[in-house]
Amino acid sequence: MSRPRALENIRVVDFSWVRAGPWATRWLGAFGAEIIKIEWPENERGRLPSTTTPQHLEVNLNTSGNFNDTNVNKKSFSLNVRSAKGLEIVKRLIAISDVVIENFSSRVLQKWGLGYEELCKIKPDIVYVSMSGYGHTGRHHHYTTFGPVAQAASGLTYLSGLPDKPPAGWGWSYMDDTGGMYGVMCALTGLYHRNMTGQGQHIDQAQMVSSVPLIGPALLDFTVNGRVSRRPGYPPGNRAHWPGTPLVNNYRGPRVAPHNAYRTHPGDYNDWCVIVCHSDEEWQRLVQVMGAPSWADSPKFATVIGRLQHQEELDDKIEAWSMTLEKYELTERCQAAAVRALPVQSAEDRVEHDPQLRHREMYLAMEHPALGLHEVQNSPFELSETPAFNYLPSPLIGQHSREIVEGLLGYSHEEFRAGFADGTFWPTTRARFPYMEEMLQ
Amino acid sequence: MTDAQALPGPLAGLRILELADETGQFCGKLLGDLGADVVKIEPPGGERNRYVGPFLDDIPHPERSLSFWYYNTSKRGVTLNLETADGRVLFGRLAATSDVILETFRPGFLASLGFDYESLRKQNARLIMCALTPFGQTGPWRDYLSSDLLHMAAGGQMASCGYDEADVPNAPPIAPGGGNAWHMGCHFAYMAIMAALVYRTVAGQGQYIDASIHEACALTTEAAIANYIYRGEVLRRQTGRHHAAAQTPRTQFRAKDGKYVCALVAGRLNLKYVRDLADLLDSYGMAGDLKEPQYQDPAVIAANTSHIIDDLVANFIASLPAEEVYHAAQERGFTWGAVRAPEELLDDPHLHDRGFWKQVEHPELGRSFVYPGEAAIYNGSPWRISRRAPLIGEHNAEIFCDELGLSYGELSVLAESRVI
Repeated sequence: MSRPRALENIRVVDFSWVRAGPWATRWLGAFGAEIIKIEWPENERGRLPSTTTPQHLEVNLNTSGNFNDTNVNKKSFSLNVRSAKGLEIVKRLIAISDVVIENFSSRVLQKWGLGYEELCKIKPDIVYVSMSGYGHTGRHHHYTTFGPVAQAASGLTYLSGLPDKPPAGWGWSYMDDTGGMYGVMCALTGLYHRNMTGQGQHIDQAQMVSSVPLIGPALLDFTVNGRVSRRPGYPPGNRAHWPGTPLVNNYRGPRVAPHNAYRTHPGDYNDWCVIVCHSDEEWQRLVQVMGAPSWADSPKFATVIGRLQHQEELDDKIEAWSMTLEKYELTERCQAAAVRALPVQSAEDRVEHDPQLRHREMYLAMEHPALGLHEVQNSPFELSETPAFNYLPSPLIGQHSREIVEGLLGYSHEEFRAGFADGTFWPTTRARFPYMEEMLQ
Repeated sequence: MTDAQALPGPLAGLRILELADETGQFCGKLLGDLGADVVKIEPPGGERNRYVGPFLDDIPHPERSLSFWYYNTSKRGVTLNLETADGRVLFGRLAATSDVILETFRPGFLASLGFDYESLRKQNARLIMCALTPFGQTGPWRDYLSSDLLHMAAGGQMASCGYDEADVPNAPPIAPGGGNAWHMGCHFAYMAIMAALVYRTVAGQGQYIDASIHEACALTTEAAIANYIYRGEVLRRQTGRHHAAAQTPRTQFRAKDGKYVCALVAGRLNLKYVRDLADLLDSYGMAGDLKEPQYQDPAVIAANTSHIIDDLVANFIASLPAEEVYHAAQERGFTWGAVRAPEELLDDPHLHDRGFWKQVEHPELGRSFVYPGEAAIYNGSPWRISRRAPLIGEHNAEIFCDELGLSYGELSVLAESRVI
């Protein structure tokens, strides 16, 4: 690859673990930054526990599929930062790096002696991004989060579900994904600012707090209009409005009908399509796609107010039709007639059946030394001059320790071996992987 | 106010042209609130998203959309009809002096007006142009119509969200609300624009970015793709908790006030956790048999998981208001949270400590309103809402006359011809 990379010559010291932080640095890596992941097997979280190890492989530090996808484009340096020697070594690394990023609880790095003031002594223009649960300031900075808790406490969970039922919430850690987005956005913004002014800074990103700007219109409806979201008809399932409840906006665009999920043939677990008509014209086009059934001529369905009022009946009628078609066929027929429809897609659907994702090469295979050849998720944008792409599989733990210690930091091979003997680069009590023995030759 | 709060934002000095509807306006807000001069270019009469509610006092009007207000802070606004010759001349002049163009038109539209990236860069080699569209500029779905709900379906969000059969029989997959498909696309678009800006500080040249909302959504389902790729598993939806290959214990419990608490207990029940849990419950006299010594045996814990979760934890939470459970548990180190409705966040003291809520002046109304603030605190270059969303064409004179040098006579001619 001879094309330039957007973050060429940027080096990131990455203390992050679990999901949100690693998901952030993955993207900095895709833009060409050198990501050095500092890990220690005794308190590793992200590789283990693994629920994504292929059935035919042993679960160990190097066989998590999700870790692989989350940690492409990085190097791994196993280092005991909690030892005096390890701390000195990581300081030498920080001195020649541009970004430090971590997603520990709020006081951890400070306790290690690597708080922002200390980082500045080592590297005055460092961009330090902390990605904690609640941030480094505020009375609850010591609270802890995982995605579901951040989503609950911030109001995001409440946005999801059927009225008069418990919240359906988010079926995954949306705020690990999105917290990761904010982590990488902060790092890039901090780097831009540094390049323009020469000044680094500490950026205090917080998973729970980052969730709140995602519910802006609902918050303004309260702060401006005094309207609460604990009200009849909210949240409105997949609809824009729940029939029989006050006709207020539910923060998902214009109130229109149809606006729902409908079962499709053959009726299996993920056989659903969503259909939305934003205007009378779109509704009339849907009527034509459905074969102009006589029920659709009824005046009660001719107007948007009527369709909202008679939504239960409307949805039943549409579903009787949608059940006759397979979801991709329904999608193609609707879209060919300029009707908004798309299939509900499982992971299998996206990887195997989505023609658009295939065309855009969203899943490209990559060889991993322990996992073998598997598809890895690609970037959702194409940059004409500096393409973002995956160029390294996720590292085996400690895979790049020698390269970093000897090649980058200039220690001798004897010093590297000594670091294994004294437990700085790998616990003396723990069996070494074969590639470590090779490094020590 | 500290000195740091008076500093410019990290993107100060950048000029962004935003030609974006509901799909991309959040990206412009992200840039503007961090200090960029974002000029929103709307069609004469205003962008259609001004007609999306809720509205101030529920009175529909293009200057009263709270949705538009929220997503268009820190921007200046002009109106311009790009499909007129005069409009194209003015846009060309704006593009020649801007750093970034963010556009969400259907693929090919700007090119049909002569504003493809190759033409624009001839006047401005440093220009970065980001097209953020539902499916990107290529591919079989390129011209498909979409909506937030459609993206949540095809992106995989809905396949992961819903209910246990016991809670809601035959429940559909559920799309969480709030316009999050647009947020996902805008986060990735912001990221790509910033990477291009960082590169430009080194290389001096701009570039073109083709960003896809569908792909952004498809990337935002945590481990669902890895579960399929590495194990062939398709995950099932569960009430208020993670999708899973096989059913997992519940994590959402109803509190005394009818609100819910997210309590992550299952999978964490080691000896220490059980001891701490017994202490938490015991502080409210709700420990039941959990203090008994037999629970210091992993086999006993495993055999009683359902008792611990469905009886002891559930009864404890049912005896207290959700907010009290949240703080009592967190203070003892439990990663639990109250499921709050948006309005309850205004009472959160932690957000107040962080200065999260912002008063935003609406001078034309003689009022100010409370807006949500920053996702992250930039200690050296603060985030701020520099102004409320622009009124329709509010900055036409400022930008077309004061900056581009049109006379007021020319400006009024353009208004009469519906160019602005």
